[in-house]
Amino acid sequence: MVEPRVVPPSPTERHPEPSASMFETRKLTRFFGGVCAVNDINLTIGEGEIVGLIGPNGAGKTTVFNLITGFIRPSSGLVMLNGENLVGKKPHAIAGRGIARTFQIAKSFPQFTVIQNMAAAGHLYGGAGFWEGIFRTSPYRSKERSIFDHSMKTLGFVGLEPWKEAVAGTLPHAHQKLLGVAMALATAPKLLLLDEPLEGMSAEEVDRTLEIIAGIRARGTTVLLIEHNMRAVMKICDRIVVINFGQEIARGTPEEVRQNEEVVKAYLGAAEYAG
Amino acid sequence: MDSGRSRRIGKGALLLLVCLLPIAMRGNDYFLHVYIVCAINIILASSLRAMATTGQMSIGQAGFMAIGAYTSAILAAKCGIPVYLSMLGGGCAATVLAALIGFPLSRIRTIYFVMVTMFLGEIIRLVVFEASSLTGGSTGLMGIPRPEAFSFFGLLQIDFSNKLHFCYLVLLLLLIILLVLYNIHRSHAGTAFAAIGQEESLSSSVGINVARSKVLIFSVACFFTGLAGSLYAHYMTVLNPDAFGTFTSLYILIYVVVGGRSFFGPIAGAILLTLIPEFFAALKEYQPYVFVLVLFLIVFLLPGGLVDLPRRIRESVRKAPLEEAR
Amino acid sequence: MFWQGVVNGFSAGWIYVLVALGLTLVFGIMRTVQFAHGEVYMLGAHAVFFACVVLGINIIGAFGIAVVALFILGMLMERLLFRRFRGQIEPSIIVAIGLILLFQTTAVVTFGADEKHIPRFIQGVLVIGGLHIAWDRVLSVIVGAGIMLALYAFIKGTKMGQAMIATSQDMDAATLQGVNVNRVSSVSMGIGSALAAVAGGIMGSIFTVEPFMGSFAITKGLAVIILGGLGSIGGAVIGGLILGLVDGVVSLYSSSTMASIVGFALIVLILIVKPSGLMGGD
Repeated sequence: MVEPRVVPPSPTERHPEPSASMFETRKLTRFFGGVCAVNDINLTIGEGEIVGLIGPNGAGKTTVFNLITGFIRPSSGLVMLNGENLVGKKPHAIAGRGIARTFQIAKSFPQFTVIQNMAAAGHLYGGAGFWEGIFRTSPYRSKERSIFDHSMKTLGFVGLEPWKEAVAGTLPHAHQKLLGVAMALATAPKLLLLDEPLEGMSAEEVDRTLEIIAGIRARGTTVLLIEHNMRAVMKICDRIVVINFGQEIARGTPEEVRQNEEVVKAYLGAAEYAG
Repeated sequence: MDSGRSRRIGKGALLLLVCLLPIAMRGNDYFLHVYIVCAINIILASSLRAMATTGQMSIGQAGFMAIGAYTSAILAAKCGIPVYLSMLGGGCAATVLAALIGFPLSRIRTIYFVMVTMFLGEIIRLVVFEASSLTGGSTGLMGIPRPEAFSFFGLLQIDFSNKLHFCYLVLLLLLIILLVLYNIHRSHAGTAFAAIGQEESLSSSVGINVARSKVLIFSVACFFTGLAGSLYAHYMTVLNPDAFGTFTSLYILIYVVVGGRSFFGPIAGAILLTLIPEFFAALKEYQPYVFVLVLFLIVFLLPGGLVDLPRRIRESVRKAPLEEAR
Repeated sequence: MFWQGVVNGFSAGWIYVLVALGLTLVFGIMRTVQFAHGEVYMLGAHAVFFACVVLGINIIGAFGIAVVALFILGMLMERLLFRRFRGQIEPSIIVAIGLILLFQTTAVVTFGADEKHIPRFIQGVLVIGGLHIAWDRVLSVIVGAGIMLALYAFIKGTKMGQAMIATSQDMDAATLQGVNVNRVSSVSMGIGSALAAVAGGIMGSIFTVEPFMGSFAITKGLAVIILGGLGSIGGAVIGGLILGLVDGVVSLYSSSTMASIVGFALIVLILIVKPSGLMGGD
């Protein structure tokens, strides 16, 4: 990994001004060598919103996700969740703060069964400790049971309950994607980052997944969504941010964005977006 | 009686049999010797398997064994510390090294991790060799005491110069260690370790502290490995650095791979591969050929290891009727 | 004193280079660490011993026979064993361990476990400016350098060499370009084994030949290719010479054991900080 050009934090970054919204990024920037992959991204997400992050391939959307979740360190800028700056924290700590994510290429623990996958993801929810596990104390065993119940409920919510004993690596594509979502939900996040959750799905699967996403918001989780399926994005998102070449080129409601000239130009293939 | 209950009774009977075997064979010193060596190998293999679940496959465990062995031996023989404490000291010494080196090591990818552990093991062996005033170097360390004798409620005299008594000491420790490892294996932490071994970034994203987990299981595994080394030291009563080379580490790896990666795999692998050289000892210098044959058979025909055998047999039995129907 | 260490180390370094070249060639093309490489080196030493001392063939002929024999052995190993597990780390390690045991046992039952000697090619010591260099060490440097140049010419100049470069960069792309990747792998392992045989023969004439001499070679060889970068031929040369120098100098001031400790500690540090080595990309 090439070391980023790190700008030392300015006084305002070391003691950031309080933020009005639940989640925001401030001047989020990342260089790779001389190339600026993400430039001055300022997202603002309020609690309970579903916000879409769209843009052509290679625009830097997944990089933004990686920056938010701690997989890559920003060159400069802040990531604020409920007023706390998360920059510099490791991914597991950020998950602990309440940001969960899925991956563009569906990831699961391929040798585990679905329910085992959920058990692994239930770590944060259950809070089961290492030493307790060795002695199998009674409080430990009830924690295990509550993780199991929580896992089953989440699987039921995404509709994967019938497949709970299936080995994850053998699942069909759409189910793997849903498993990824279920695992992210298992961490009881405040903010859920979905990276192309609809990719490779049939029309029915898309509709069902959109219902699930709506259900996620109904349960109180805020969603930030990367998607290429424009029809779906327009349908489900409250607001949209469009980026290209790492920079924001437009933001607004789906209607406003759909009519924005810059956005049309960026996408070249108008057909894909006229939806 | 349902199958679950009858299986558990069967397992219990097997365990009882294994525990009574030393008494049954108490006149046979050779049998007891193999039993003890086998038990120590099981500890080594099971510990390696536990840390390998996170993807940390080591070929340097003989080094940690050496640390446990020499620390315990020196504490007991030269510092006059009671053997029970010195053995714990051996385990702790190995753990301390593991914890110190564990964090930098946790960031290395599997293939490089394998190589680092090999060199680590070699460094430890060479240091033991070089620090001859302390460790006896190549001439070896001698006069290592057996654990102190004691009397059990005035009725039973336990004297560890008696092989049978030492056998039960080793068996007791083995059972405790296996119980601990088993509980870790089926606990939430065990699931997390296995998750890390499959997908590290996914594990991170669901809140698992990957680095800390890797160091934790590495340290635990090295504690038991060091303990096994201490047992070895106080059993053999002499130590030589040649016993702790990369070759020994590779053997421990073989026990795990031949046995299979499941919890019981290393137990099966250690038992089989400890017994083979003994059964074929009559072949003398040709004996390793049998070992090699077993290795190649496993890797080519049974890549999942010995524990995979029942499943393979079941599958081929299921296929057979179809063949006949053609 | 120091310069004597440098001189000793420089000549030892070329032997490390010969061992490492074979290892790095195999890794670069087959992406596997051939842990039995040390045993191949040992067999090479025994082959030279057998041809020279037992059959009475002159030393150069003996080396020639050993090279050919181990080239063939290398190709067979690839074809029969390693090809099946290409890309899989653990099975490859088990296969290698099996080969280690196989070769060691065969050497013990065929030749016996005691130390044997290959007659020195040249007797005597060269003395320059107060420094003592045994003539056979000078020769080993010349041979080592010569082989390295020949290898370089082979890789740059022949079709097979070019195929090897292509395969080491991207096996799938090379296949698409019509390279017979299987044949390239076999030849690589063959050449690697032949190089190990030469190194073994040289070491056998400077020191001794015995069935357990291989562990020295694999540990040094692995150290060199990590230092220089896995898969890099230039790295193998630089790494070999550096490690040789460290060994040579530290040995004189302390002991050869201490030299190994220092060398290996350096390797551990590199693996932690920059696993791709001095010349590696990654």
